[in-house]
Amino acid sequence: MANDKRIGGALAAAACGLLGAAAPVRSPAAEPASKATDDSWDVDTAFLYYGESDGRVQDASLNAIAVRDFGDEHKLSLDLGIDTLTGASPSGAIAADRPQTFTSPSGRGTYTAKAGEVPLDDSFHDTRFALNAAWSQPFARLYSFNAGLGVSSEYDYQHIGANLGLTRDFNQRNTTLALALAYGQDQVKPVGGLPVPFSAMGDVVGEDSSPDNRSGKTDDKNVLDVLLGVTQVLGRHTLLRLNYSYSDSSGYLTDPYKVLSVVDPVSGEPLARTPPPGAQGPGGVYLFEHRPDSRKKQSVYGELRQDFAGKVLSLGYRYSTDDWEVDSHTLEGRFRFPVGESSYLEPHLRYYTQTAADFYRYSLADGASMPEFASADARLADLDAYTVGVKYARQTTAGNEWSARLELYHQTSKAPANTLIGEQPGNVHMPDFDAVILQFGYHFSL
Amino acid sequence: MRKVLLLALATAALPGCTTVKPWERDVLARDEMQLDANALDTALDDHIYFSKEGTSGGRGFGGGGCGCN
Amino acid sequence: MGSPCEVLVDSPHEQPAQAVASAVAACAWRIEEKFSRYRGDSVVSRINRSGGEAVEVDEETAKLLDFADHAWRISDGKFDITSGVLRRAWKFDGGTRVPAAEEVQALLPLVGWSRANWHRPLLTLQPGMEIDFGGIGKEYAVDLALAAAADITDAPVLVNFGGDLAATGPQRDRRAWRVGVEGISGASIPRTLELTGGALATSGDTYRFITESGTRRPHILDPRSGEPVRGAPRSITVAAANCVEAGLWCTLAMLEGAGAEAFLEREGVRHWIQRK
Repeated sequence: MANDKRIGGALAAAACGLLGAAAPVRSPAAEPASKATDDSWDVDTAFLYYGESDGRVQDASLNAIAVRDFGDEHKLSLDLGIDTLTGASPSGAIAADRPQTFTSPSGRGTYTAKAGEVPLDDSFHDTRFALNAAWSQPFARLYSFNAGLGVSSEYDYQHIGANLGLTRDFNQRNTTLALALAYGQDQVKPVGGLPVPFSAMGDVVGEDSSPDNRSGKTDDKNVLDVLLGVTQVLGRHTLLRLNYSYSDSSGYLTDPYKVLSVVDPVSGEPLARTPPPGAQGPGGVYLFEHRPDSRKKQSVYGELRQDFAGKVLSLGYRYSTDDWEVDSHTLEGRFRFPVGESSYLEPHLRYYTQTAADFYRYSLADGASMPEFASADARLADLDAYTVGVKYARQTTAGNEWSARLELYHQTSKAPANTLIGEQPGNVHMPDFDAVILQFGYHFSL
Repeated sequence: MRKVLLLALATAALPGCTTVKPWERDVLARDEMQLDANALDTALDDHIYFSKEGTSGGRGFGGGGCGCN
Repeated sequence: MGSPCEVLVDSPHEQPAQAVASAVAACAWRIEEKFSRYRGDSVVSRINRSGGEAVEVDEETAKLLDFADHAWRISDGKFDITSGVLRRAWKFDGGTRVPAAEEVQALLPLVGWSRANWHRPLLTLQPGMEIDFGGIGKEYAVDLALAAAADITDAPVLVNFGGDLAATGPQRDRRAWRVGVEGISGASIPRTLELTGGALATSGDTYRFITESGTRRPHILDPRSGEPVRGAPRSITVAAANCVEAGLWCTLAMLEGAGAEAFLEREGVRHWIQRK
């Protein structure tokens, strides 16, 4: 053909001539299904607000995931998040019949708790950045591999991690086996330095000093994760995923800001302490916690997705067990159903329950021999949590999607009876809380 | 006896592992049937639960690492 | 048609779906019987046995011959329904047998629409020449079948004859039809396209090819040389208003060989090309 001659019109006319009355008048409209084409990014963004009851933690974050397909399923995914955290967290100390005073982590100030109130440390406000990049692509006919790198940074904590994965399809792609490995290296540099385990919270120090019961400024932790998964198509409308994971953490696993109250062995009341004259400091004896320097975890996870004529139910269950004796069950369900032509609603329910770590203590008895490890962090106690939520999303005519999600979270914890001292049974105050999660999202192509 | 009955019910409830042909994968190809549908939501949730509960992970990798647990 | 044919009807009722399925199947069978060169009683076979005599054809066949004539002119002779005799030399079954130059040369005098005399409603071929509608028959059947379906029901319908397909519009919930395009074996996963209207046609070597010195060569022959087109992509998918048009774009782009992308880009045609 002559290189500069356009033949489209003649061709269309020829086709119309042939089809006559059968020639359709609609214009063609075919687009690649994945919006991540080799010349555009598929971007999902969200603003999230998390707020706990009673003036506790509040977190606001901005997140975005952008995916681009460079052709033939060679995909790059970039994930960026910024969040700011404010508000108070339980320090691990227990409520007393009288007001209590504590030294803040920096050692330079104090905070108080009222009588009967679970002490909350409100000296945190922090901003965290996180960035992840991942690449995935097929190789050979039935295989694909993926690799990822991630970093995150906040004032007192840095993380860097990498992961590698391989998948292989079987049975005309009805079955997919996946193997993945991840390694993470974290560095903790707590405000005020690393507390010596079981040392007592000290008095306030001067502006230019640091607290003196510290063993150093920073420490490391590393985590190795292995995952084996199988995805199986069970039918035209059903998909099942089963994962087995093994995780090995070692290094500094203690929370440098958490303490345990030392209590009278008979009454169970926190001991009272008077700071030396002229000094400000804790009104009780609070010892910094100490966790093992190793944690090995195993979990199995299963997820079923079932289509019911356009409505989709997904059910997930996870069982996890580790050598800290924290065993948990998680059951989660989502049901998505279309509303009108371009929207959907998706209610969500989640139930979580865990057993306490074997070194969890509600408090420590004065004069009793010290255990090797102890923590009063309620997140390591017997715990139950419920989430109820709903998501609403709407597609615009341009093919983008707005969404809003509201979740209500309720957490209650319990101290195992054998960790209670003296007359504490019946007078236990755990830092239970409710939280609201509100998220607004926008999904678009760039 | 109850255990056996429950097991039998459970296995009967699981649809048989049929092979779905490539041209029958219309429903499975939909966005909402993908295991990573709602990827951003579940990643954000996982991060919240990681910092508020004693167990984390199991679903997959990606992200992670913060001074909150 | 030589490939699996299906029709999808998006409707909550079984009734129009049954009627549509019957109409579409009837259309497919009719075109198959009338224009297949493998059937002794087809119009094409009658023409190919004519031994130099003029054959009077019906209106539908006349329209197809008009279309073939236009396509031949538009493509400067690359699209030619008389090129089928070359298959006596080239057998596209995945094997490695390549014909000798003399075999191809001997057949070339029997190839060329200019050697045929088409004067509506009479078609006269030289003795030994043959025509076949393999390049447009399936796409034509898709468009006719879709029109027949649209006459029966307003429900969204998609007709798919072995990868050449057309839809009346999107599915009921404004959702697009998801179409998988077979990836070339050895490389990628099937790509999925979302179709909300119009047609898609695909041309490629996934199923019909020979391997010569390690290179797969697709089954599109250049009638001017008698050889398969060199540098042609492994697969071309084109979206157009109707299947006949889409199919013709596919064929013409294949015939451009290495210049397939540039050709379709220049013409502003929506396409997806896989080269390896």
